[in-house]
Amino acid sequence: MPDTRPTTPAALPTSQGIDPRSPRFGAAITSVLLAVTLLLTLTRGTEAVGVALLAVLAVVFAWGGFAGIRRHPYGVLYRRFVRPRLGPPAELEDPAPPTFAQRVGLVITAAGVVLALLGVPWAAAVAAALALVAALLNAVFDVCLGCLMYVWLVRARLT
Amino acid sequence: MLVLLAVVVVTVVMGLVMRSRAGRARPAAGDVVGVAPASHFGEKATLVQFSTPTCARCPATARQLDALAARHPGVARLEIDLTERPELAARFDVMQTPTVLVVDSALAVRSRFGGQPRPAEVTSSLTAVLDQEHTGA
Repeated sequence: MPDTRPTTPAALPTSQGIDPRSPRFGAAITSVLLAVTLLLTLTRGTEAVGVALLAVLAVVFAWGGFAGIRRHPYGVLYRRFVRPRLGPPAELEDPAPPTFAQRVGLVITAAGVVLALLGVPWAAAVAAALALVAALLNAVFDVCLGCLMYVWLVRARLT
Repeated sequence: MLVLLAVVVVTVVMGLVMRSRAGRARPAAGDVVGVAPASHFGEKATLVQFSTPTCARCPATARQLDALAARHPGVARLEIDLTERPELAARFDVMQTPTVLVVDSALAVRSRFGGQPRPAEVTSSLTAVLDQEHTGA
């Protein structure tokens, strides 16, 4: 009986598919930076640094969300330094889901920055915490929360 | 530091719960009448897959279910893009993609999987439907 799990890497042409481990690697970096952001926004005297770091992360999310996940700076790091140490991926993945997830990350972090600049208390910390949950789920459990949220948008008829 | 620890613990619990529930067969009721033209359904059973364009596991699930359907005569796979049929997301209460329904020849939903189905569980769900069709129960 043939195995039902696809094992061929030819699921998508190389020009279209991405290595699914690349977004997870990026999510791991994002998780560390968001954890640092959260600590900074909650420490007296470093709140402004935390908001600034959150703004930098929002720019990186915008990069991945609009230039496309394949042009993401962490993706470049992955291909340069991590991929050569791993075997080839079991299969390639459509770049649309992680690209959409980057936009979700942009909305959350940008909202945190804007609300923090407007003086809303805890806005940066809450945004960093929410984004950290999503990034950690992606990095550790391979769960793409941003991808799941797309269905919720469909249900709310917002797409 | 405590806040960070709390966020990490909550995330790990969420991740473990999601992982333990993902791709498991759940009993389901209802039918898929009107979801697609009659010719799109299998003679004995149908694997109905709800997908979205941003769904990371949908292409792999489609290949998995195609391979499964190919091994069982009279079984078809039907994939529905929810962005084209948003009313079906509400009708079947789809909260994640892929969501897979195992449907019998009378178009009754027999079991349901949230996330990419575990191969052994979707195979046994399908086999249960086919056995029942065979015995005419």
